[in-house]
Amino acid sequence: MTAVEAFLASGVRFSTPILLAALGCLPTRWTRDLNVGLEGAMLFGAFSGVVTGYHFGSAAAAVLATAVIGAAAGLGFGALITRLRASAFVVGTALNVLAAGATVYLLRSWFGVKGAFSSPQIPALPTLELGFLARIPLLGPVLSGQTPLTYASWLLVGFVAWASRHSVLVRHLKASGEHPEALRVAGGNVTRARILAQVWCFALCGLAGVQLSLGQLTLFTEGMTSGLGFVALAVVIFCRGSALLLTGMSAAFGLTSALSVRLDSSVLPSQFAQMLPYLVAFVGLVVLSRRSRAPETRMLTPTLED
Amino acid sequence: MTGTDRAAAPPTEDSAGRPKLPTLIGAACRSCFAVVLAVVLALVLIRLRGFAPVPTMLAGLSYAVGDLPSVARTLAWGLPLLVAALGVAQGFRGGMFNIGAEGQVYLGALAAAVVGAYVGPLLSGLHLLLCLAAAALAGGAIAGGLGWLRAHWGVDEVLSTLLSNYLLILLCAYLANGPLRDPTRQSGSTRTVHDTAMFPVILPRTELTAGLFLVVGLAGFAWWLSERSVAGYRWRMTGASPGFAAAVGFDVARGRIACMAVSGALCGLGGALLVMTSQGRFWTEIGTGIGWDAVLLALVGRARPVGVILWAAGYCVMRASARGVEQATGIPAELSSVLIAVIIIAAAARNGMFALATDRLRRWGAPLAGSGR
Repeated sequence: MTAVEAFLASGVRFSTPILLAALGCLPTRWTRDLNVGLEGAMLFGAFSGVVTGYHFGSAAAAVLATAVIGAAAGLGFGALITRLRASAFVVGTALNVLAAGATVYLLRSWFGVKGAFSSPQIPALPTLELGFLARIPLLGPVLSGQTPLTYASWLLVGFVAWASRHSVLVRHLKASGEHPEALRVAGGNVTRARILAQVWCFALCGLAGVQLSLGQLTLFTEGMTSGLGFVALAVVIFCRGSALLLTGMSAAFGLTSALSVRLDSSVLPSQFAQMLPYLVAFVGLVVLSRRSRAPETRMLTPTLED
Repeated sequence: MTGTDRAAAPPTEDSAGRPKLPTLIGAACRSCFAVVLAVVLALVLIRLRGFAPVPTMLAGLSYAVGDLPSVARTLAWGLPLLVAALGVAQGFRGGMFNIGAEGQVYLGALAAAVVGAYVGPLLSGLHLLLCLAAAALAGGAIAGGLGWLRAHWGVDEVLSTLLSNYLLILLCAYLANGPLRDPTRQSGSTRTVHDTAMFPVILPRTELTAGLFLVVGLAGFAWWLSERSVAGYRWRMTGASPGFAAAVGFDVARGRIACMAVSGALCGLGGALLVMTSQGRFWTEIGTGIGWDAVLLALVGRARPVGVILWAAGYCVMRASARGVEQATGIPAELSSVLIAVIIIAAAARNGMFALATDRLRRWGAPLAGSGR
């Protein structure tokens, strides 16, 4: 494997959690309840993956359990912001803090460790070797030897891209954001659409977390998402609702992360290397806002007058 | 414009108006609801760990506010957080969601530590002033710059401040590990500041310093600025309705920049207080989480200075109690972060919950009357 191949392969590994979280978040943008709690949801997902994997001893069970737990959490979040009319921004922000606190709390209560939890009983996600595909130069290591979740994320991209053009469901989701009255008159259920978007979002964020804790490493460390959720949020805001643009940007951020890990500290101090993804996101945000006249890049914030 | 506006739109609730529990008890219920929920949750969590809930909690409380030294310790810990929370609230009030408090706190702390260590020793008062000015300038410049981007280029400040957190924290980490590192220490930490850059202790044998007076002054200033001053009025108008503000002739762009700059300056001062009241130097994890706590406090206090001060006081007691509980029982002190997050969520959902409850009650009372849904 050449250096370039290794770089591309690690870029794909880094982009998977961003891609999964961004794909999850996209429908919440359609329904105009942009979930800013991605970071927290991913952290919970990573934690849940390690705990359920440790408990069941199987990576498949961990993935399944985390997706189910995530969907249940999404149901709760959806109910909070629809039936109970809480602001998605406030609850999402609180979720980020909750995840940082609760995972540490549970880690110390259940396993009595601080900082990081690793054990030989934690299963790693397997990597799939795709035989002949692996021998293609340059693309081989990218296509082969990834975790099932990476392949699943690629399938999901196709699914979301197809669904956003051809499915009634996505039209309902978009309508519940853009013109809820119209959807209601047409017989759709706005509340159900908004809750569904959150369920999808949390389930996928859970998987993104599992990919981090069981795919890239086999351990859980405090705050291990370290801003990836916010990068995914930036991707969702930049992509203007297009699944393909979203994929491209996730890949770009993945490659930037891979670059920041590979850069030698004699070339660039490690802190500056770590800045790269955030810097790219920041510059991207500025350029994008400068070029578009429409206030489309504005995030949804609550009114505090109450 | 926002998700909340639309969420409040369903016709049943609009025609029925805001949910009204007619009595004073109802109002008190509503404001205490989140706190009661948190207390119950804390009791349950303590019970789950196998300890007697009420005595444990009382032990924690007495660790937090049991005697004068405890009160001083709790208060001293809360001062930087309060200043940062007031800063975030100042921004929120002007419609600028400055959630980059974490990064601004770090930068302010670093600026104060650098001026404290490399300038001087000077006359104490002057040195304190210089350090504070450096921190306020650093925080204010960053936030003001992001405010400028928002005002003139339409760069969403929520996302830009969010990303600036990571950039600033990494920048500070680089400086503390590289050019500004104290060679006599192992990890990323700057040189210890001169004694003249530290606030003097005002209560012997405690950590409570004269920083308290500064914080009281800043709190008063923040209240005056956002509730009573002309500038604050304009910022509020800008936040509530930019179109209206522009139509009556306020300079919206300038208001936004100034509002962000003040917000960032206060966050920077919060960081400076971390260094100048207790730590005495900058190190790479000096303020972990303070900025996010400040954002939550500003949200739950609805960005009003008085509300923020009350919630900050409550949170400090909570946090100190959690530490006391940890010492007594080994239950992790992160309990307090869990509780504050739950309080925020409960407070955000409170009105909706009461609306739903009163709606149900009304339907039971008059089965045919409320069938608008």
